Parts: sequence; structure tokens; C-alpha cells
Amino acid sequence: MSAATRRTWPAIPVAILLAACDREFSATPPAGPQAERISGLTGYLAWTGTAVFLAVVAFLLYALWRGRRRAENAAGPAAERTLTLWVGGAVAVTTLILAVTLVLNFQTGRALAEFAEPDALVIRVTGHQWWWQVDYQDPDYSRRFTTANEIHIPVGRRVRVEVQSRDVIHSFWAPNLHGKVDLIPGYTATTYLRADRPGVYHGRCAEYCGMQHARMDFRVIAEPPEKFAAWYEGQLKSATPPADSVRQAGRQVFLSKGCALCHTVRGTPAGSRVGPDLTHLATRRTIAAGTLPNTRGHLGGWVSDPQKIKPGAKMPPNQLAPNELHALLGYLESLK
Amino acid sequence: MSPERTRLDVSALPKVVFGHRSLLWWGTLGFAVIEGFTLLLMVASYFYLRTNELAWPPGRTPNPDLLVPTINTVLLLLVIVPMRAADRAAKRFDRRGVARGLLVATALTVGVAVLRWFELLALNVRWDAHGYASVAWGVVVLHATLVAVDVFETATLGVLFASGKARKKHFPDASDAADYQYFLSAVWVPLYFIVYWGPRLL
Amino acid sequence: MSSTEAQVTAGLLDAEGRAEMERTWDDGPGLRGWLRATDHKSVAKRYVATAFLFFVLGGVEALVMRVQLARPENGLVDPELYNQLFTMHGTTMMFLFGVPVQLAMAIYLVPLMVGTRNIAFPRLNAFGYWVYLIGGLLLYSGFVLNTGPDGGWFNYVPLSGPQYSPGKRIDVWAQTVTFTEIAALVAAVELIVTVLKQRAPGMSLNRLPLYVWAVLVTAFVVLFAMPSVALASMMLALDRLVGTHFFNPAEGGDPLLWQHLFWFFGHPEVYIMFIPATGFVSEIIPVFARRKIFGHTALVLALVATGFLSFGLWVHHMFTTGLPQLGQSFFTAASLMIAIPSGVQVFCWIATLWAGRPRFDTPLLFVLGFIVLFTLGGITGVMVASVPFDQQAHDTHFVVAHLHYVQIGAFVFPLFAAFYYWFPKITGRMLSEALGKWNFWLFFIGVNVTFFPLHFLGLMGMTRRVYTYLPETGWGPLNFVATVGAFTIAASALLFVANVFRSLRRGAPAGDDPWGSHTLEWGTSSPPPAYNYLHIPVVQGLYPLWERTPDRPVVTGMGTERREVLLTTVLDAEPDAVYQHPGPSEAPLLAALAVGVTFVGGIFTTWAFVVGPALLFPALLRWFWTQERHEGPRTEGEEPA
Ligand code: HEA
Ligand code: HEA
Ligand code: HEC
Ligand code: CUA
Ligand SMILES: [Cu+2]
Repeated sequence: MSAATRRTWPAIPVAILLAACDREFSATPPAGPQAERISGLTGYLAWTGTAVFLAVVAFLLYALWRGRRRAENAAGPAAERTLTLWVGGAVAVTTLILAVTLVLNFQTGRALAEFAEPDALVIRVTGHQWWWQVDYQDPDYSRRFTTANEIHIPVGRRVRVEVQSRDVIHSFWAPNLHGKVDLIPGYTATTYLRADRPGVYHGRCAEYCGMQHARMDFRVIAEPPEKFAAWYEGQLKSATPPADSVRQAGRQVFLSKGCALCHTVRGTPAGSRVGPDLTHLATRRTIAAGTLPNTRGHLGGWVSDPQKIKPGAKMPPNQLAPNELHALLGYLESLK
Repeated sequence: MSPERTRLDVSALPKVVFGHRSLLWWGTLGFAVIEGFTLLLMVASYFYLRTNELAWPPGRTPNPDLLVPTINTVLLLLVIVPMRAADRAAKRFDRRGVARGLLVATALTVGVAVLRWFELLALNVRWDAHGYASVAWGVVVLHATLVAVDVFETATLGVLFASGKARKKHFPDASDAADYQYFLSAVWVPLYFIVYWGPRLL
Repeated sequence: MSSTEAQVTAGLLDAEGRAEMERTWDDGPGLRGWLRATDHKSVAKRYVATAFLFFVLGGVEALVMRVQLARPENGLVDPELYNQLFTMHGTTMMFLFGVPVQLAMAIYLVPLMVGTRNIAFPRLNAFGYWVYLIGGLLLYSGFVLNTGPDGGWFNYVPLSGPQYSPGKRIDVWAQTVTFTEIAALVAAVELIVTVLKQRAPGMSLNRLPLYVWAVLVTAFVVLFAMPSVALASMMLALDRLVGTHFFNPAEGGDPLLWQHLFWFFGHPEVYIMFIPATGFVSEIIPVFARRKIFGHTALVLALVATGFLSFGLWVHHMFTTGLPQLGQSFFTAASLMIAIPSGVQVFCWIATLWAGRPRFDTPLLFVLGFIVLFTLGGITGVMVASVPFDQQAHDTHFVVAHLHYVQIGAFVFPLFAAFYYWFPKITGRMLSEALGKWNFWLFFIGVNVTFFPLHFLGLMGMTRRVYTYLPETGWGPLNFVATVGAFTIAASALLFVANVFRSLRRGAPAGDDPWGSHTLEWGTSSPPPAYNYLHIPVVQGLYPLWERTPDRPVVTGMGTERREVLLTTVLDAEPDAVYQHPGPSEAPLLAALAVGVTFVGGIFTTWAFVVGPALLFPALLRWFWTQERHEGPRTEGEEPA
């Protein structure tokens, strides 16, 4: 069996059932070596498990069928001996299967841990109730920047992700790339990812973290290196000052209506880190940690009343006059 | 019903038995196991939190004092003496001996309970200072609640025997109370070393 | 009654002796009798009924969750309520239904199966029930008063700590757990002592029925598992109420300490429900296969091995916390190893059916359903025991699928089998077989329809504990199927309730032994008299009723005016002493109320820790100083000291 078919094993039942749905969300198919190794193991586990299950059920049914037609119990030393042989054999087979499973487990675990390649990139991800802060690290401080909920990585290169939390426990999980890793306050954990195919991969917080645990998604966007580099350069820049008067007014609203108490827009006085960095908000696909597509309408709804969309979110509603909102949205949309 | 039933006559069996022949002894053992294991887990937590700190006690927290805890440990071990006497007396069905032993033990245990307060002060840190403080207090307070329950139990039994209301079936109870006391005293010794000497050694 | 002595020495009791036994062991009439009851059967019956009520409540919560999840972005409940619902559901099923119902069944069955008159420490037993009831009432009062806990059933810190969960929700959870712990611990001690010291003569350990073995192992597991959660919940309460820092990483505490302590209890806890369930199965299969069980010794060893191993698995709930790889490998190995004793059990059961002549009454149907569901759930357990796979499956609906296949398959199914099997003994009436078969098939189909799709949802990335999901995820259809399944289960449960009520009123009379069983309890009447056996039987084999000689030996020479039980030696069950049990008493209820005041009050003010014990004091005095008056000459123990 070729490597490719082996990889898709566990996907078969899922694929049959859900041929039509969006693959972005699925733990299968894997898009990188880490997820691929796990997927291989999953295939082994799923198929061995199915075989064992079917065997047990078959024996059970056969036993019932036999017993039903019998007039006398099978008793006596000979019968006991036969039973002992069967049971002993079954236990032996069980032990064997478990031993093989254990070895495969270790092998996969070791391979995952020994994913030795130079890091193309170090990213620090901090979980917050209920969004992700993403800090791109670089020895050169001027080449560091902060963003939120959207992680871009270059295709084909290993990325080191250091995860941490300052509030409660979250768990960082992008199933197409790798298994999950918990963000435990007081600890920093590290995970290594590599995407081999360009694409938009869905990720979510997997550990229950309070009211909006359900809406704490992120995206991993794997791009060809040139495209990634361009994105990186773009993110390093401060926000472009608004060109027209509407947007200038919008910026004024942003700075005067309290947004700056929580958000950063580099290049403006707004420098707080309570909420997501909005410097390049307009380049992101979604807002509010994957809850809504990043469109003007949704942005307006969110800014006016986040509680309606994501009850419990740590952003208060904002009462803005229609013209203020209009200006503010214009400004936010310009944050490219 | 078949009239010809084989009979196993038990009318001659004793009604008052001691130690592992008695029901209550097993019950006491069960609760001692539970309490001992809880203390063990508390100690495990102590060592677990230890691994998070560079120094133990952390920061500028001073080491615990040794004087009061040492005195109290000795006192707690001394309680064994009157308890042992009560135990022996119980097995002789000697009411006065049991009463005397239990009441002396009660008095000593009350002393332990009082000194326990100063023992907590000897930790030299409040429980809400940090993890070390919380878990050190935790160990001592957990054992202290057992001591408090023990005072109550020994006192009640002591009064029961002193007042003359006790029946013969209560003698094994006195003996079980002694067994429990041995457990309570013995289990403290390692706790004492961990909490009061540990910070100097760990 | 002075003629009693003569009767006793003459041997068997006559009608008059029987009447006296009735009087001696009766807990008294009316409400007063009910509140003072210490008969293990009365206590166990209310225990089981209360636990079942909580099962229904937990099930209704599950139904609401299932409706909410039936389609994407459903608006039936808001996240605040949903988070309470799964917390209440999990907490109810684990702490108020699972563990208590298993202990309650054991409290009913074990004294009968070992041939004694009451459980050891009967007042403690009554106390345990009252404390449990208070715990349950606390949790549900909290929920109704919008103070329902919302931290999930394992309640991780720091989310449940003082900083991120202000208010009283988490305190309600912590104290509920405290109450159920106390109840479980006292039951465990009573059961261990009953099994070790109160067995009928002749029931040496190698003649102990498998169910009693299972209970013994379980009780030991309780003894070592519960202290861990007791300690954890106490630390949490202290962190929240008096500002300690056990779990606060900023001050030298550690959130992972909670996880270790919780799962050191939490993993064994699932076996607390599972091990007695395998005991039911091992009792039921031989009766309905109409032959002795195959591999009795192997089954005993499997039980003991499961009990031991259950303490070496807890880290498999923490595979994504980034613990060192070597340590994780150890826990994987242990988790795989536990499949071996489970396999031994499954194979021995199949072998017994293989060599017998199975009779397909409802109890056996539930047992067969159990074998199928447990094998499936066990195998997904083995899958998630693998660290790399678990890193994908953890905290997804794959785990939800695993846990329900095993919880329902390996615990609720055997429990229902036990209900059908022992209902005639407990009530004297049979449950309807026709309704029973409907009950079984709807349940079996419902479980699969509900929980099988969740495996796929998990693999598709659906995390657990989410109150809703987006349409683009494509999780809608399978969720809808699962919801349909949940209602099938509910219909089945409703049929069961109907069956019980119908049978209580006009079920067929059962007689002493409707199934042709082999354990002692089927040798007494249905329902058993308050004293269980007029004469304690002498046990002659592993299958007492199948192997007894025609002279059916019994114990004579015990008094009838006092609640006397026979104590026997631990290993060989040789008669050793006669011990007098206390009669009915209100002290257990009063003591439980005082404990209730302490811990419920403790949520609001530390003064409760002064007031509660102050109330406890008189209750305990009453407990220990009640002098019972009896007719007739004093016994040895009643002589003045
Ligand atoms: C009755 C309850 C019960 C039982 C019996 C089990 C049995 C097992 N469980 Fe399960 N488990 C739970 C209840 C239970 N579990 C619950 C409630 C949770 C979730 C808690 C939460 O997070 O809320 C959980 C979660 C859970 C996890 C954590 C998953 C996660 O959170 O990521 C793991 C990981 O290892 C696990 C493993 C196992 C294993 C290896 C067994 C084994 O004991 C199974 C052994 C049995 C068999 C394997 C079948 C019979 C054997 C044969 C027929 C022989 C042939 C078999 C082979 C060759 C494989 N369980
Ligand atoms: C013994 C344990 C047990 C049992 C029996 C069940 C039974 C069920 N469970 Fe539960 N479940 C858990 C233990 C259990 N569960 C645990 C530990 C969790 C984890 C919690 C957490 O994450 O913290 C969980 C979580 C859990 C979830 C995941 C929630 C989430 O993560 O978002 C779901 C969702 O489908 C679910 C569903 C069900 C259903 C449909 C049943 C059904 O089988 C229930 C069937 C029963 C009934 C429906 C009741 C009977 C009804 C009647 C008799 C009718 C009533 C009549 C009237 C009122 C007139 N459960
Ligand atoms: C009290 C703090 C606070 C204030 C004030 C505040 N926000 Fe926010 N904001 C947040 C937090 C926290 C989030 C993340 C919410 C989430 O996803 O759960 C957020 C999210 C956002 C997002 C989505 C970002 C993304 O990438 O997902 C936008 C846009 C936004 N805020 C705009 C504004 C504007 C405009 C204002 C002022 C009118 C404002 N915020 C005021 C805290 C605040
Ligand atoms: Cu963050 Cu769940
Ligand atoms: Cu487990």
C-alpha cells in the first residue's frame, strides 16, 4: 500500500459521510508532517480497533447461536479445556496487539518530538478570554510585531510556536497541522508545525475556558515564502494615516470613544494591549476570533454591540451616532 | 420446610471481643487509612509545589521555628503512654484504669491542640502569602482537625467510663480509641520533619 | 419474652420467634420510622430511587444540550446556561448518579449476598444517605437559583479560581463534591467491613460471589481515590474563601496540581461505576446461561488487577499538558495494560455463554448490549490512550463518544440488567418482559444513534463544551442525528419508568427465586424480611443455592430480642463472635444536618465552621450515648463495666 493511500485511511469513513462539507474544518486530511504522522497512527488504531470489535461481536453471536440450539450444557473437563484454550488464545492475541500498538505509539511519539529542522520562524501565541494574541519574534526587535487570531506561515518550513496564557487554560489546536497543546498559566509550551500545502487551516481553542470557549477560533494561513515575506513586511509597518476626511473623523472617533483604552493601532496614540492589535485589521479574514467574516456590516454590528454577537466577550457595547459609526468603520476598513 | 436441618449453634460465642475480631476496630482502621492517605497526598502536594520554587521557603520567607513544634511533637508522642495504659486496662475490663488513662490522654491532647496554634505561628508566614505558606499550613491544619476530633472522642469515652454509665461492650471501643491515637501520633512524626525541618534541607 | 432462650437452644425458631424477630428488626412505623430507619434495605431503596431521580434530571439536561446542538447557531440556550448544563449534567451523572447508585445497590445486595442481617455500622449508613441527599439538594438549589456551577465536571483552575469565577457557582460545586465524597467514603468502609467480618459461616473468600468481590475492590478504590478529590476541593475552597495560593501560578501555586489531584481521583472514579457493573454481569450471565461461570479465579484476578491499575492511569487525561514524554509513555503503557483484564472478563463471559444454554430474558439482553457497547467504548479508550492520537482527539466529541459508550454501555446497561434481575427480589413482583424488551432495544439503538456519530464529529474537529458552531463547519447533519438518538434513549427510559410503576401495582408475583439463581439472597423471601434471614444460612459452596445439601444447614443460637449479627473470621468465615447492632435512630439525620450547616453555610461565612460543629456535638452525643432498652436478661456486653 502506498504512502498516500495509507495517509488517507482514517479519512475514508469521514469522507464517505461528509463528502460535501468544507475540508478546512476537518482534522483530516493532514497538511503537514506532524498531522500526517498522527494520521498514520490513527489509521492503524481505527482499523485494528474495528477488526477487534468485529471479531468480538462475531464470537459473541456465534456463542449465542450455538448455545441456543443446545439441549445440554457443554460441561466436563474436556469442554473446560477447550474453553481455556480459546480464552487463553484470545488473551494472547490481545496482548500481542497491545504490544504492537505500544511500539507504534512510541515510534510516532518520538518522530513527533524529533522533528528536527531549523526554525524558519518563532511565533509566540498568547491565549486570552476569548481571542489569540500572536507575536512574531525576531532577534532584531524592529522586526517584531503583534497581530491577532490569524497566523501566517511560509509553506514547507518548520515554525516554532511558543504558547502561553496569562488568564485561564486554553488549548492551541490546528488539526490539519498538528495535535493540540495546552496553554497553562505559569508554563510555556512549545510546538512545531510545518505546512506542506498552501491553504487556510482552521484552528480552535480546545480547552474549556469560560463563557465564549465556543468562539475562540483562529486561522493558520500557509503561503509560499515570497507571499509570506510580503505579508510580513506589510505587518511590520505602522498604520497608514487616513487620507480622506471621513477616515480622519473615524480615527478621531476611535481615539476619543474609548477604543484606545483597549486596542493598539501602531502609528497612533492607541497603544493598549487589553484587546487585539488592530493595526492591520483590514487584512484579516474574520473578526472576533473567527466568529464573523470581516465585512463592513459585521464590523459595524460588532463595534456597536459585541455582547449580542458574542455574549460575555470582554469588549463593551459602544453607543455611537450613525455618522460616527460610519466614519469609524471607514477608518477600520482602511487599516490594511 | 425440611425439619431435618443441620444446625450450627453459636450461642456460646463471645459478645465482647477486641482488636481485629471486633467490628469497630475495622471501621477505625478504615478511617485511619482514609486520613493517612489524605495526609500523604497533602505531602505529595507539598513536594510538587516545591519544584516550582528556586528556594524553599521562597523569597525572603524565614525558616520555621523549631522550639514549639518539637515540644508539641514530644507531647503528642507522650499521649501514647496514658492511652497504652487505657488500652491495657480495657483488656482487663478495669473500668477505673480505662477512665484514668482516657482522661489523662484527653488532658494531654487538649494541650497538643492549644500548642498547635503556636505551632502554626512558628511557621513564620501567613497562609495567604504564597504556595509554600498555603501548603505548609495545609499539612499542619489538616492534622490539627484530626487532633480536634480525637479530643472529642477521647473525652466522650473518658467521661462515659468515669461516670459509670459504661457497659462492658464499651471496653473494645476504648481499646480502638487507643489504636487510633497511636496512628495519630505516629503519622505526625514524618509530617513534623517535612514541615519544620524540610525547609532547612530541601 | 422468657421462653426465647429455650427456643433458641432448642434450635429453629417457631412462629413466635419469628414474630419477635419482626419486632426487633422493625424500624418503626410512619414518618418517624422512615426518618430513623437504619435497615440497609430501606436506606438502599431510597438511595437508589434518589440516584435514579438524578439520572433523569441529568438526562433532561442532556436533552436540552442535544436540542441546542441539533443545528448550527441554534438559539435555544445562551452560553451562560449551556455551560451550566454540561457542568450539571456531568456532575450529576458522576457524583449524584454514578457513584451513589453503585454504592446503593451494594448496600442493598451485599448484606443479603453474604448472608447477614444488616450492613456494618447501620447508623453511619443512614448518615451517608442523608449527607448525599443534602449534597444533591444543594447542587440543584444552586442551579434553580441561578447559582449553578459552570466550570465543567472537572472544574479546572484557574478558570474556577477566585479570579475568573467570582460568585458562588463554583463553591456550590465544591461543597456538593464534599458531601458526595463523605457519603461514598462511609459507604466504602461499611461495605468493606461487612464483607470481611459479617459473612455467613462457610463463605470463605474463595466462595465469595463475584459481585461481592467487585464491591470489595470498588470499596478499596473509593478509599484511596476519594481523599484526592476531597483534598483538591478543599484546597480550591480555601483558595476561593481565605486567599490561599495552592493553584495560583503567580504566587508559587500550580494549576497542574489540581489536574493531578483531580484525575488521581477522576480516573478511578469511572472504575467505581464500572467494576460493580462487571460484578452484575458476572452474576447474571451464569443464571441466564444456565451454567457456572467460566474462569471464576481469572475473573477475580481481573477485578483486582483493574482496581490496582486504575491508580496508574490518571495522566492519560493530561496528555496535552506538555508533560515529559517518558512519563507519558508510562501512562500509555498502563492504559493499554488495563485492556488485558477487561479482555479476560469479556472472553470469560463469552465462553460461559458459549458453553451454556442462554435464555434471552431482559437482564441477559442488557448484558449482551453491555458486551457490545463496552467493547466498542473500550477500544476507543485504547485509541485515546495513545498520546499522539489523543493530541488530536482530546477535548473533542471523540472523547465524548468514548465516555458515553463506556459510561452507558459499561455502567448503565449492567445497571439496568441488575434492575430487571433484582427487582423481583426487592419488590416481590416481576417487571414486564414485553416492556423490558422495548426498553432494551430502544436504548441500544438510541445509544448508537446518539454517540456513534460523535466519533466522526470529533475527528472533524468539533471540540467539546461548545454551545454552538458555525454552519460552515458542516457539523450540522451528524449533530442532528445524535439529537434524534438522544430522544430515543429518553423514550426508552420513560418506558422503564412506566414498567416500574406498572409492576409495582400489578406485576406478576415473583416468588423467592424466579430465575433459578444461585446466590444466597434468592433463598429468602421476596421482598426479604427486615432481618433478611430467619436463620443465617451456612454456605457450602461457591454457588450456595445450586450446591447446597438437602439438610440446608443453618445457624442457631442467636438472640431474637436484640439486633444480633454473627461475626466471622476474615479468610475462612468461621463463626467468631456475636455482635449487637444498634436500632433505629434519629442521630444520623441530625448529624447530617449539622454537617450540612457546616459546609453549605461555609459557602457564605466562615462562622459556619464554628456553628456547624457546635450543632454536630449534641447529635454525636445522641449517637453514641443512646442506651437501648431491651426486655429479658442482660447480655454480656450490657453488663455494667
Ligand atoms: C465506565 C467508565 C469508563 C471506562 C470503563 C473507561 C475505560 C477506558 N478508558 Fe475512559 N473515560 C471515561 C470513562 C471510562 N473509561 C470518561 C468518563 C472519560 C472522560 C472524562 C472527561 O474528560 O470528561 C474517559 C476518558 C478517557 C481518556 C482521556 C481522553 C481525553 O480526555 O483525551 C483516556 C485516555 O487514555 C481513556 C482511556 C480508557 C481506557 C484505555 C479504558 C479501558 O479500561 C478500556 C478497556 C476495555 C477494552 C479494551 C474492551 C474489552 C477488551 C477486549 C475485548 C480485548 C481486546 C481488545 C484489544 C486488543 C484492544 N478514557
Ligand atoms: C453516567 C454518566 C453519563 C450518562 C448516563 C450520560 C448520558 C447522556 N449524555 Fe452525557 N456526559 C457525561 C456523563 C454521562 N452522560 C459526562 C461526564 C460528560 C462531560 C461533562 C463535562 O464536559 O463536564 C457528559 C457530556 C455530554 C455531552 C457533551 C456536552 C458538551 O461537551 O458540550 C453530551 C452532548 O451530547 C451528552 C449527552 C448525553 C445524552 C444524550 C445522554 C443520555 O443517555 C441521557 C438519557 C437519559 C434521559 C433522557 C433521562 C430519562 C428521561 C426520562 C425518564 C424522561 C423524563 C420525563 C419527564 C421529565 C416527563 N453528555
Ligand atoms: C474594555 C476593552 C475594549 C474596548 C473599550 C474596546 N474593545 Fe474592541 N475588543 C476588545 C476585546 C477583549 C476584543 C476581543 C474580543 C473577542 O474576540 O472575544 C475586542 C475585539 C475587537 C475587534 C475584533 C478584532 C479581531 O481581530 O477579532 C474590533 C474590530 C474591535 N474590538 C474594535 C473596537 C472599537 C472600534 C472600539 C471602540 C469603539 C473597541 N473595540 C473598544 C476589548 C475592547
Ligand atoms: Cu480558550 Cu477555550
Ligand atoms: Cu481515565
